[in-house]
Amino acid sequence: MTAPRRLRKELCDLQDNTLKSFRDIKADDENLLRWTGLIVPDNPPYNKGAFRIEINFPAEYPFKPPKINFKTRIYHPNIDEKGQVCLPIISTENWKPATRTEQVVQALIALINDPEPEHPLRAELAEEFLKDRKKFVKNAEDYTKKHSEKRPAD
Amino acid sequence: MADGNGLPAGAASGAGGIIEGGQTLNCGVATATVGNPAGVSVGAASGSNSSASNSSLSSSSGGGNGSGGGGGGSAANQGYHQLSVTIEEASLRNNGFLKPNPYVELLIDSKSKRKTDQVKNSYLPKWNEEFTVLITPHSTLHFKVLDHSSFRKDAMLGERIINLAHILQHYNGRCEFLELTIDLFVTSKSDNRQTKSGELVAILNGLKLDMSKLQVQQNGNAVQAVNPALTDPAAAGRSCMIYGGVRARMRLRSSNSNSNPETLANRSLGANGVDTRAAILGPPVWEQQQQQPPPQQQQQPLRMVNGSGVGAAAVPQTAPYPQQPPAPVVAPQPRPMTQVYANGVMPENPPPPAGVYMPAGPGVPMDQQQAGIGLPVSQSTDPQLQPQPADDEPLPAGWEIRLDQYGRRYYVDHNTRSTYWEKPTPLPPGWEIRKDGRGRVYYVDHNTRKTTWQRPNSERLMHFQHWQGQRAHVVSQGNQRYLYSQQQQPTAVTAQVTQDDEDALGVLPDGWEKKVQSDNRVYFVNHKNRTTQWEDPRTQGQEVSLINEGPLPPGWEIRYTAAGERFFVDHNTRRTTFEDPRPGAPKGAKGVYGVPRAYERSFRWKLSQFRYLCQSNALPSHIKITVTRQTLFEDSYHQIMRLPAYELRRRLYIIFRGEEGLDYGGVSREWFFLLSHEVLNPMYCLFEYANKNNYSLQINPASYVNPDHLQYFKFIGRFIAMALYHGRFIYSGFTMPFYKRMLNKKLTIKDIETIDPEFYNSLIWVKDNNIDECGLELWFSVDFEVLGQIIHHELKENGEKERVNEENKEEYITLMTEWRMTRGIEQQTKTFLEGFNEVVPLEWLKYFDERELELILCGMQDVDVEDWQRNTIYRHYNRNSKQVVWFWQFVRETDNEKRARLLQFVTGTCRVPVGGFAELMGSNGPQRFCIEKVGKETWLPRSHTCFNRLDLPPYKSYDQLVEKLTFAIEETEGFCQE
Repeated sequence: MTAPRRLRKELCDLQDNTLKSFRDIKADDENLLRWTGLIVPDNPPYNKGAFRIEINFPAEYPFKPPKINFKTRIYHPNIDEKGQVCLPIISTENWKPATRTEQVVQALIALINDPEPEHPLRAELAEEFLKDRKKFVKNAEDYTKKHSEKRPAD
Repeated sequence: MADGNGLPAGAASGAGGIIEGGQTLNCGVATATVGNPAGVSVGAASGSNSSASNSSLSSSSGGGNGSGGGGGGSAANQGYHQLSVTIEEASLRNNGFLKPNPYVELLIDSKSKRKTDQVKNSYLPKWNEEFTVLITPHSTLHFKVLDHSSFRKDAMLGERIINLAHILQHYNGRCEFLELTIDLFVTSKSDNRQTKSGELVAILNGLKLDMSKLQVQQNGNAVQAVNPALTDPAAAGRSCMIYGGVRARMRLRSSNSNSNPETLANRSLGANGVDTRAAILGPPVWEQQQQQPPPQQQQQPLRMVNGSGVGAAAVPQTAPYPQQPPAPVVAPQPRPMTQVYANGVMPENPPPPAGVYMPAGPGVPMDQQQAGIGLPVSQSTDPQLQPQPADDEPLPAGWEIRLDQYGRRYYVDHNTRSTYWEKPTPLPPGWEIRKDGRGRVYYVDHNTRKTTWQRPNSERLMHFQHWQGQRAHVVSQGNQRYLYSQQQQPTAVTAQVTQDDEDALGVLPDGWEKKVQSDNRVYFVNHKNRTTQWEDPRTQGQEVSLINEGPLPPGWEIRYTAAGERFFVDHNTRRTTFEDPRPGAPKGAKGVYGVPRAYERSFRWKLSQFRYLCQSNALPSHIKITVTRQTLFEDSYHQIMRLPAYELRRRLYIIFRGEEGLDYGGVSREWFFLLSHEVLNPMYCLFEYANKNNYSLQINPASYVNPDHLQYFKFIGRFIAMALYHGRFIYSGFTMPFYKRMLNKKLTIKDIETIDPEFYNSLIWVKDNNIDECGLELWFSVDFEVLGQIIHHELKENGEKERVNEENKEEYITLMTEWRMTRGIEQQTKTFLEGFNEVVPLEWLKYFDERELELILCGMQDVDVEDWQRNTIYRHYNRNSKQVVWFWQFVRETDNEKRARLLQFVTGTCRVPVGGFAELMGSNGPQRFCIEKVGKETWLPRSHTCFNRLDLPPYKSYDQLVEKLTFAIEETEGFCQE
């Protein structure tokens, strides 16, 4: 029950100290190893929407890192069509058992707000991002409008 | 849980037993029918709805219980029934300026929550979602309509609890296309007042109960409430008020027979229907084995038998899903199931937890499992596989999506009664689904003429093709491998290990006996495998690195005391001594490369020791093993397991059927290579790749999907021992930790790195950092997952309650290491070693370290130095650096054994991938051989096997490099690679 105990604590902490950019954090009713939450980015072109993510923790957590998946579609060089995201903080080389989900989420929010076209999952978006920023912003805004969830009121 | 299904009196002996194969349900059905035909109430005479027939059957067994004098009249004794609930639509009161995102939650008896999708922004949501739920006649259905909110807790739009008993009374136990219009209410928080907030329309379907039985019970419980509609057939099809705010009517879209509420007619039809089935299923010989838990039955989906007749078609379909997980390649023979059971096959089988349709999820007591939320067992090789995001493609016929108790999506294939994590893909061309005599589903690949229990998916097939693709290389590789001293006769074996005091060494291992020869020389007998040897098995191999004993000086003689202790007689001076007169262990004497000669020669010497033991325990004559190439695995398995293990030390005479050729060694060499390629194939789930991109094998913790897996491990143990004994090579190698386990060496934290670098890094982090301040929340207990099951383990007694801190973390790390290296494979390893030890005493291996063991088991290949150099990369060196040039000079100048060991030192294995060095794999994917400049000239070289990297300090001269490198690869023990 190592993982659940740690996760319960992390979940409580996250729910108590609400992050401005990460809301609506919930664990699955029957499975504490699966959380969902809403990413609310600050920077354009993503600041008009909110994006639901799923965090899956392995049974061996915190010995193994969680995996993050976007449930809401997003136009972003570092997130692919399946919602997969490559986040260094939870990679095999960098993972530390003391890394808390809050830090992981912070890193994710930072990545959303400031894409890293040097390590893209979608090369074509990275190229657009670098070569035609206007077009990229426009596309991303349209996409956000069309697919993203509503931002929380407050 | 099993008690929940009233068992017929005649079947009581089997009640509460372990849930066995699925076929037991059949027997439950048959017995119930035979034991109490009068109890059969309704049957799906029309055959239009299988679930109806199912529920009628289960209710009949409930009836059987009643008449059998079970005496339990409670609802629980009624057993569970399957009910289909379709949530159609709702109309919600318009209040507020934002339209809600309504969805419906359905709870049965406050449990087993089901949810519809949410409909966005609507007061008139339509869901049309069907759920199959398990109910008792006294269940409550709790409908909640909620407003999904992304920001807040979802708000209640209205709810209603319905007692099923009321509806059943109205409709005489039948719910078929029964439309319920339910008033929804919300409770105001301020004054607890209920106000109507909307209406919900739901359809109940697929339930038929014998109300007479129910009535009896209700009478007993004094809750009888006769409703006029009960006896009024005309009630069907007409809307009627059940009770306040719940209106019901039967929809007339079903067939006539379905809407016919005539109890008597149904009863007779039903009896007929069931009789037919009973006749087909055969006599109730299974009565003794009746072990069927009820929920199994209800897991059958409603749509299964649509339109099929009750008779023959009903047989396979009413059969529940088998619990028996598959064994590899059982030649399936269509036999009547009755025979299988009558032969007693069933009870002999171990009841492994895997297989399809587990009635109880792991870690959840059986009695808590009710509503068919059994955890699915993945057929996937990757238990970590997360459910895929939903997509809209329809499932193939007979498939269904379910959620497990962790809310993960899985797929149920009702056709084959199996579950998968992955969304089903059509079978690849040339594949076929079949069923064996026990009703288990297997897959036939006509392309390769193989069968497997696993549904082929793309990943699996890729692995398989990869594995098979190597086949062509297998034999050629086998012929290319060698071990130089194999042909050499062992030089005069003069090594006698000093006998220590018996007491100091403790008792002999199991099966060993100490005996004394007429000249007082002590020897040891192993009764398990009928071998003898001079060496004490307790110290065997421990002194090997001391010296290679040379001849005695002239005039000296070795003798033994009565206690078996060796002493030396100097006839020149007529004195005796215990001290060996020969020049002492030449630790200091340097060989060509400046390392002690002992190291240099040790492998050769060890091997001759081992070969000597093999030869001195050889048995006369030979054994014939006749195999067909297509069925190599089974043929070999049966013949090897049939023989007494010690016989396997006779000379082997292998015959491939239909092929001429005398086995003077070539045929058996091929047999070892081909068979090892076969049994270690990860497709059989006995072994797996150590990690994703590693081609070393280890025991698969999920091997229990094969109920006979332990037998196979014993077989493989014997087979591997035979390979060593007969000096043959196998195709593929094991992980270093596996070899260490064979040598009974303690596994260390370092060993984890080779099989699970992620876990290792975390453990090292815990070791190297102060953990008191960072909220790790570690306790002396751990979880891991096999095939979707979470397995919990306490590292020590009450570990659950003991927190890990700076003081006790060393203990924690030790316990974790031990657990990580053995979890889920203890039984398999034990059986493997047992099988091995029956043929060759494990003590014989103790001369070797794990690397040498790999060498003698896998042999060496000629290492292509050009290819190696071409595919090597450098860090902080370049190809022209002095040290790099020296390195390659050394590689070229040294012999093949050293090259192999150097390779092993750096990459963890002496084997080169089929595609050469370009395909060298690390733990994270392709990883070329790498030489990095690290440290000072005084350091020894180190290696990182996960990354195929050699840390080579900037040595000052070629000689220095050679000395250090040779020392490092020869003496890996104390210095170890890092």
